Amino acid sequence: MSTHGHSDKFVYHEPGLQHQFSDMEQQEESVSIGMWMFLVQEIMFFGGLFTAYLVFRSKYPMAFAAGSNHLDAFWGGLNTIVLIVSSLTMALTVYYAQKGNRNLQVIFIILTMLFGATFLGVKAIEYNDKYHHGLVPIAGLNLRAKGTAGAEQHPEGKPCWEVAGHSAEPAAEHQYVNPKGEFEWADCSLAKLAQDEGYLTTAEQIGYFSNGELDGNKFRDKVRIFYYLYFVMTGLHALHMIVGLLLMTWLLWTAYKGYYNADYYMPVEMSGLYWHFVDIVWIFLFPLLYLLGRHFLHAGH
Amino acid sequence: MQTTNWVPLFPEQASTFAWQVDALYFYLVAVSIAFSIPIVLAIFVFGMKYREREKYVSGAEIHGSMVLETTWSIIPFVVSMTIFLGGAIVFFNQMTPPDDAMTVYVVGKQWMWKMQHETGQREINELHVPLGRTVKLTMTTEDVIHDFGLPEFRTKADVVPGRYTYLWFTPTKPGKYHLFCQEYCGLNHSGMGGWVYVMEQRDYDNWLSGNVSGQTPVEMGKDLFENKLGCASCHAGGPQQRGAKLEGVFGSTVKLTGGGTVVADDNYIRNSILNPASQVVEGYQPIMPTFKGQVTEEQLNALVAYVKSLTPGAATKSPSPGATAPSPANTTGGTGASANNMTPAKADRGKQNAAGSNPNTPSNSNSR
Amino acid sequence: MNAQDAVLETGYQSGIPPVNYLNIKTTLASWLLTKDHKRIALMYLVSVSVFFMIGGLFAATIRLELLTPASDLLETGTYNKVFTEHGIMMIFFFLIPSIPAVLGNFLIPIMIGAKDLALPRINLISLYIYWFAGALALYGLMVGGVDTGWTFYTPYSTTFSNTYVMIVGLAIFINGFSSILTGLNFIVTIHTMRAPGMTWFRLPLFVWAHYAVSLVMILGTPVVAITVLLLAIERVSRVGIFDPSIGGDPILFQHLFWFYSHPAVYIMVLPGMGVVSELISNFSRKKIFGYEFIAFSSIAIAVFGFLVWGHHLFVSGQSPYAGMVFSFLTMVVAVPSAIKMFNWTATLYKGSVSFDTPMLYGLGFMGLFLIGGLTGLFLGSMGLDVHLTDTYFVVAHFHYVMVGGQVIAYLGGIHYWWPKMTGRMYSEFWGKISAMLVFVGFNLTFFPQFLLGYMGMPRRYAAYPPEFQVLNIFSTAGASVLGIGMLMPVIYLVHSLKFGKPAGDNPWMLPGLEWRTTSPPPLENFATPPVVTWEAYEFGEGSGLDLEEARRRAAAPAIL
Repeated sequence: MSTHGHSDKFVYHEPGLQHQFSDMEQQEESVSIGMWMFLVQEIMFFGGLFTAYLVFRSKYPMAFAAGSNHLDAFWGGLNTIVLIVSSLTMALTVYYAQKGNRNLQVIFIILTMLFGATFLGVKAIEYNDKYHHGLVPIAGLNLRAKGTAGAEQHPEGKPCWEVAGHSAEPAAEHQYVNPKGEFEWADCSLAKLAQDEGYLTTAEQIGYFSNGELDGNKFRDKVRIFYYLYFVMTGLHALHMIVGLLLMTWLLWTAYKGYYNADYYMPVEMSGLYWHFVDIVWIFLFPLLYLLGRHFLHAGH
Repeated sequence: MQTTNWVPLFPEQASTFAWQVDALYFYLVAVSIAFSIPIVLAIFVFGMKYREREKYVSGAEIHGSMVLETTWSIIPFVVSMTIFLGGAIVFFNQMTPPDDAMTVYVVGKQWMWKMQHETGQREINELHVPLGRTVKLTMTTEDVIHDFGLPEFRTKADVVPGRYTYLWFTPTKPGKYHLFCQEYCGLNHSGMGGWVYVMEQRDYDNWLSGNVSGQTPVEMGKDLFENKLGCASCHAGGPQQRGAKLEGVFGSTVKLTGGGTVVADDNYIRNSILNPASQVVEGYQPIMPTFKGQVTEEQLNALVAYVKSLTPGAATKSPSPGATAPSPANTTGGTGASANNMTPAKADRGKQNAAGSNPNTPSNSNSR
Repeated sequence: MNAQDAVLETGYQSGIPPVNYLNIKTTLASWLLTKDHKRIALMYLVSVSVFFMIGGLFAATIRLELLTPASDLLETGTYNKVFTEHGIMMIFFFLIPSIPAVLGNFLIPIMIGAKDLALPRINLISLYIYWFAGALALYGLMVGGVDTGWTFYTPYSTTFSNTYVMIVGLAIFINGFSSILTGLNFIVTIHTMRAPGMTWFRLPLFVWAHYAVSLVMILGTPVVAITVLLLAIERVSRVGIFDPSIGGDPILFQHLFWFYSHPAVYIMVLPGMGVVSELISNFSRKKIFGYEFIAFSSIAIAVFGFLVWGHHLFVSGQSPYAGMVFSFLTMVVAVPSAIKMFNWTATLYKGSVSFDTPMLYGLGFMGLFLIGGLTGLFLGSMGLDVHLTDTYFVVAHFHYVMVGGQVIAYLGGIHYWWPKMTGRMYSEFWGKISAMLVFVGFNLTFFPQFLLGYMGMPRRYAAYPPEFQVLNIFSTAGASVLGIGMLMPVIYLVHSLKFGKPAGDNPWMLPGLEWRTTSPPPLENFATPPVVTWEAYEFGEGSGLDLEEARRRAAAPAIL
């Protein structure tokens, strides 16, 4: 593959050439393979989560659809567009680094970071919404609300498929009482729908029922698994996004100092690879988490 | 465990498919020997014949041989396929019970096995089955994963929380066979064993109708007290006495710790076995472990009858040398001398200290 | 004098070069902040040895407890922690790093003619991560340890165990990244840093083996990382996907866990096989038989190793049809290992075999891996596995391949390359004695366990029925011999650091590239970067080694 010439005692080291390499070509090739290998292992890392998602979604599709419906596809979609555009600005950063255009590099890095920060901001909005609606899977991490005077507790006489919405808005007159900050889910109408129309999976036929009756608590447990996976997957992704922003900060600094030009722009390209990877993971997460049960919302079956 | 001879090559074959598993085993041993001998021989012969005679002399220039490589790729592959097929066939047999099986329900929990026959009999850590009848076990667990392992029947299956798993066998030989828990399940994993009794049909019917070897309740209670449950280790007097004396206790008025008295009637005795911490006799430590879940109703009745029969002055026998007196510390009574290895100490999940011992029990109980 | 002669000329230096990688700088900072792969390798050597001793102490405790049927030496709760920690320390902190992080780090750049690995700072970070994870695991051990078994099956580990699962789980999670970065580094290095003339098919098989291992490390380790992370989260938060009481699936844990942990055993054994290829070939002074086949077998084992994890789940409740697929593939993955065994044996044919200590370990590997590998077939055959799984047969099998295989190869490699790493020779007499003690002790320890397993003795038992005692006593007796055999190298190797005879560049007159530089090597590995014109394991004319000269020097007393 590579035939590199001998190094003599005196070697001209270009700026950025590490001592173990004999020339820039070798260094760039190494860094590139290294980054790709790193991304491959990141894919395997997320892969475990996607596997878990696959297993539970095939077991409990209705619970997943129900959970997914409460996620706001607007915010999710916005985030998707934000990330795609940030990938564009990132690609332009690499382009202008290659052209040696320092100012445009810096501008596009800043834009990329802005979009990244926007993404994280939207995620914060979404997580906050979950906090207010009792959708954080871990007990105690939801808003603890004692309820207003005269407020109804969770509709006790009603079967779980006649509860409107999973739990009402906190501002509504009735409901949202959650003294312990637990995970709340009251609406199992989708399970009822599947039962009536006869397409519950084998696991669902056991998992949602006790004593032959649809059990709201058991359904809630399965929805909680959806939210658990939602938080772990998007949380891990957000963590990678934060790392990406830190990377961008470093890149901004070095680009501002004018390190990159046509001969040496590998760090920019590698950072770009990382950024694109984070983008692509989101492209998979978005439909799998946000778009599951949307056909049910429009009285589909 | 009976073995075929003094060299422990394999346990008894006690089920209809045990011979198949052993046959597969011996086939594999033969294959292993068939491959090992030539290789080891070659290593020795080549090592000797081609040893370095003069320093730094090189060996021959041989790069390889396509013929040899092909041969010793194909032959192992073919042999391994036969092994796969043999294994698959035997496995398929082990997984497919015949239709006429009698079902026994098994529930595993830390650290005991509870069986229930279709006819209603319940057993703990023991399973009585009739010779020649196919038995299918439908199993689950209340807590963690365990495994119902029967070496002499050559079968085992994990029991998984939240679902049922199955195992079947047809016993071919009367006798007493090991039951082991074979998936690590925590503190008393090694003590979670028992026995499967294969009985002639007549004995089995006898057993089913509750007439176990014709014992009276008092005799049964005495056997449980002295041998099987280890009550005598604390209640029989002597240097080990940690529990209240039971001679003459029935009908008397007992002083409890914290004041208060109670008349020692049937219920009192029963409660002391199932819930000892609730009524501790004054002057004694609250160290008696509960036997809840480890004694059947029938056994409870027998124990009560026995305690009733203890008149003052009647010396209760100290634990006989052959008996297991399971120590309250977290060890198993696994000496094999007693058939029924019950470990009364149940480690309280929330209360273990780092050393893993039950803080309610004295350490260093020398019950052996 | 052309460049090639210049390289070969250095092959005749005897004695220790005055300036080498060990003494070029001697401050503490120069070690802890080094980017030199050789120093990093030595620091790994010390660290893995520490974990090996800790794991070994636990092993001794287990064997002592098992002398008697009752759980009388330790309480069962303590015993459960001891075997768990034995497994964790040995697997994650000794076996997985050992050959790659010690020998791989040291030798791969030298064997390919490079100055260092491609990413030296990543190498250093990998070491730091390992230290941090190891410290965390030791901390977990000291505050009470874990008792879940190294396999952490749920729901015992998520909900029922009262021990420090989260801390130790976190330590394993972090340690995974050390492994991943090492593998990443190797792949990049082998691709881009080879010296001129060092084509893929001139690479030593040690390097091929590490390439295959690195693939497994990169693809497999992240999966166990996420699994252990999910386990830790579930343990702390009581929400998750593995505990059935909250809707989860405990078998999913087993699948995810074994998806890595089966390839992990190939992470452990493949580098060992790489070492053995070097030992057998070099100590027969003959080109290895079937070079390409061994190289491709390593890759095949790495690839197929990912497809067989279900053979750990035959009795778990897994579908029997899935089981059949896994059993079939398990048989397939056995074939490349068999090919290697045959190739190594054929290498001895018409060789010029010397029985130095490293070769004894190499031959020992062949015998023991033979048994270990064959017994793997027993376990891969489903009908038999139903009887044998979770018994001592499994314990014996994996110790044969991991200790009889990997550890013996590791010891062989340490002895073989000790003169290169330190510049000193150890006592050949004591080396041979301990190799034989290890071999005998090992067999005496673990062979009875096959019999115990077939008889039905379950694993992870603190107390067992008395009919198993005799074989257990044999096993413990063997363990004491094994222990002595393993401790002896510590003594004589350390002794050799000060008192050992200086080895010279090429104490065994071998053609490998690592022997064409000084012992110990200079900081940048070669005085002049090499150009490779000879084939791998070239013992003939093309090697350029002047054996006449070497014989003359060997005959005359060395003048230091």
